[in-house]
Amino acid sequence: MSTIIEFKNVNKEYKSGDHILKAMDNVNFTIDEGEFVVILGPSGAGKSTLLNLLGGLDTVSSGEIIVKGNHVESFNDNQLTAYRAKNVGFIFQFYNLIPNLTALENVELMKDIVDVNINGLNVLDSVGLRDHANQFPAQLSGGEQQRVSIARAVAKQPTMLLCDEPTGALDSKTGVLILNLLQDMSNNQNTTVVIVTHNAILAEAADKVIRIKNGQIESIVVNENPKKVADLEW
Amino acid sequence: MLAKKMLRDISKHKAQFISIFLMAFLGVFVFSGVGGESVGLEVNVNQFYDDTNLADGWIYSPDINDLFLYQVDCLGATTQMERQYVVDSVADFKNDPDVTLHFVENNTISKFYLLEGEKLDINDSEGVWLDKSFADAKGLKVGDNISFEFEGYEIEKQIRGLGYSPEYVYHASTSSVIPDFNKIGFAYMSYKAFPEDNITYNVLNVKFDGTAENYNDILSYHMDGYYSTFVERAEHSSVSQFSEEMDQHKMMGDIFPVVFILIAMLILLTTMTRIITHQRTQIGILKACGFKNHSIILHYVSYGFWLVLAGSILGLILGPMTLPQLFYPSMSATYKLPSWNPAWSMDFVYVAALMVIMSLAVSYYAVKNISEEKPADTIRPKVPKVSTSGFLEKLGIWKHLSFNIRWNYRDAKRNKFRALMTIIGVIGCSALLVCAFGMYDGMNDLKEWEYSQINHYDSKLVINENATDSQIDDVVSEVNGDKIMESAIEIESDDAKKSGSLLVLNDTDLITPTDYDWNKVDIKEDEVSISQKMADMLNVKVGDTVKWHILGSNKWVNTKIDKIHADPISQGFIMSSEKLEDLDLNYTPTIVITSEHVNETYDGVKAANSMKDMTSSWDELTESMWMLIYILIFFACLLAVVVLYNLGLLSFTEIEREIATLKVLGFKTSALRKLLLTQNLWFTAIGFILGIPVGYYILAIMWESSGDSFYILPSVSLSNFILTAVITFVLSILVNLMFSRKIKKLDMVESLKENE
Repeated sequence: MSTIIEFKNVNKEYKSGDHILKAMDNVNFTIDEGEFVVILGPSGAGKSTLLNLLGGLDTVSSGEIIVKGNHVESFNDNQLTAYRAKNVGFIFQFYNLIPNLTALENVELMKDIVDVNINGLNVLDSVGLRDHANQFPAQLSGGEQQRVSIARAVAKQPTMLLCDEPTGALDSKTGVLILNLLQDMSNNQNTTVVIVTHNAILAEAADKVIRIKNGQIESIVVNENPKKVADLEW
Repeated sequence: MLAKKMLRDISKHKAQFISIFLMAFLGVFVFSGVGGESVGLEVNVNQFYDDTNLADGWIYSPDINDLFLYQVDCLGATTQMERQYVVDSVADFKNDPDVTLHFVENNTISKFYLLEGEKLDINDSEGVWLDKSFADAKGLKVGDNISFEFEGYEIEKQIRGLGYSPEYVYHASTSSVIPDFNKIGFAYMSYKAFPEDNITYNVLNVKFDGTAENYNDILSYHMDGYYSTFVERAEHSSVSQFSEEMDQHKMMGDIFPVVFILIAMLILLTTMTRIITHQRTQIGILKACGFKNHSIILHYVSYGFWLVLAGSILGLILGPMTLPQLFYPSMSATYKLPSWNPAWSMDFVYVAALMVIMSLAVSYYAVKNISEEKPADTIRPKVPKVSTSGFLEKLGIWKHLSFNIRWNYRDAKRNKFRALMTIIGVIGCSALLVCAFGMYDGMNDLKEWEYSQINHYDSKLVINENATDSQIDDVVSEVNGDKIMESAIEIESDDAKKSGSLLVLNDTDLITPTDYDWNKVDIKEDEVSISQKMADMLNVKVGDTVKWHILGSNKWVNTKIDKIHADPISQGFIMSSEKLEDLDLNYTPTIVITSEHVNETYDGVKAANSMKDMTSSWDELTESMWMLIYILIFFACLLAVVVLYNLGLLSFTEIEREIATLKVLGFKTSALRKLLLTQNLWFTAIGFILGIPVGYYILAIMWESSGDSFYILPSVSLSNFILTAVITFVLSILVNLMFSRKIKKLDMVESLKENE
């Protein structure tokens, strides 16, 4: 398998007043194509920052982020937008669906940004929500909303799925369902999946586990034989 | 898909978008409607003047013969001229109506405007073309005969046509302001209809190049002594009366709608900004998904665009179509124009376009600001500003204040924009209301001041021009009255030259000159007093000397100003007859006033008017002004409703989450309602207090620009002031109650769960 993502000496600083906060402190790692990666760490360790930088939602203070040979850190706004549209599928803790569009419309919204033939119903079917296609987000449960948001993310067939605490707002049973879905995407469709979480159990299911603390990499572990999400002890 | 989102957003936030539409509509509607009325008057009357080739000036001379014509022609500037013999006649009816006869040479200038019958034929010696209003009042038809008596002649002619004349748009006798077409009329005839073979013309209608002032100079330079008077178009009684009417409409119609549309626009624009700001996280999601900035901007900019566009266009069409129709019926009773159509002016289109462009610009700016942030930040709600302890918190008293006050103070401090917008909205509404009610009070004050405080006689007898001194003295002793003289004058200072009026009084208690506080001003026998407005216009003060003359006479005199008085509708001098004669001018009484009620006629008296007649004439003359004031009051209230509702809605949306949190914490609904009401009352109170001076200021500008003859001080009566306060507070509280009712229904879980 080939390396698809590489972080080289990435630093990210936030300034508030005269106080400088180091959110990313000299971070280095690589991710291979189709890998199921879990990023672990306590609250405030810089997990979300890492994901935002990788997804092109934020820019580095210094260092390099290389995705499929492209230097993301050198992209301007327009290039970042195009990068997000083509390569990145986001899944957020609070789903972040457009409240005024139905489940199906939220998925088909992606037709407006990528040149991919999207059959919204089929995509919804793949997350088990064909029957809820015409319901609005407010009419769906949290787990259903999250599945719509996964459908929306995968619809445009991105290079990677970036998930920020995707089960954070869900009960454990629904959470497993969601994670299972994500693992299947990684295994069957060769989509690179990066999940940020503080739930250490998920580590056993990952191809690679990156632990961070205080903005620094604590350890990177590659699992030779990752477990199925469904087989984990929750 | 984004278009779908937009439609759903709009239908979900109906109230907000309807108020955007309404504000755009109301602003443009009132602006173009009130404007369309005064522009319409101007367009109609100018059209009429052009169609009938109204004279640029009138030269009066007892005998306008061929030599005279040759001389006028030689002036160079004259482009067209035509002679007439104009004479006052009495038509053969029971009430002896005055009909002014025009024997015309060919009627190419100031043409008779035919409405019924045949065209005026210069070879017809037996026909007459009669004033339509007069004919209607007398029940005369084309084909009827009518006789006139003048200068010892009696003629009977057949009515060939009925119509209007550009010289008689406004036609009232000297004794009354309101035309009574049963008593007054005009008629046109060919010079061939004159009973003698030789006709002596006395009026020359002229058209000329260049300004009237210039023409007057040339005329008086070359022909001084050969003619008696020159009247330019602007001084013609019909023309000047109508343009004065137009000026009054303009004064009310210019400033108020501008202020109105500015307030509507301000609230509209901030509403759009806030609606977009509320969509912050959604902008973030769209960005995270990979939407390009320009498609996001396009999406949000089109939010308001279509509504503002639709509202503006609708206002642009409906305003001029409907509002002017409320004024024209009452005006067409006094003024005679062939058509009363509202007119559109490009200004309305510019203003509507400005509204649309501004709304585009503001939404563009708002989205741009948000979309320029890092999507990582946008996707989360805006980080609340860090509260710092302010001055108030540091005082010991802070800890003793109730939670209600502390919460509201902090809330306002953290959401300065929202607080500011609410206050500005209330300022705008109360300023508009103060201004609208101020107009109402101003017009009432004016009437009270002029017809009760200054003039408190019961009857006013207008003296004939040819009455003898003994006739006048007989009348004075008969009715136990006082003689006064009124005359039109022109005053010149170093800075300006203005037309005004002269009032010569001899020790009478029936007219009391007052100052602007309605206190009596005592003008001694050897003193001259100038009116405040005239003094302001000429930029003179007590002790200065000005130059003036009576219109129609070339004798200029210098006078030192001793006093200043104030008068709401007539600007000029007041002095005694001794003072006038000291200045070597003739004292010729024109009016006798008395405290008795006079019905009979006396020799040497043209007409008798009672105070009641005059006040009702005044009422009739100001009918359309009143109409305008009522309309402005109505729309000021309507705009206030829309603005306050809209501000309440926006604030509630922004505060909803916090209220939900407090509810979760266990605050009672009633306590929360009180919390909101407190805030609302404070904002309303602050806005109202600041709105009063703003309204006063606008009112002052309006009265100041009310034309040369009006002098009205901005004031609002206590009752209307209270009414303004009541309207503002009641509206504001009602809106607040409407939203605080929602607290009960507020779904705590839902409004807390959604992280946006």
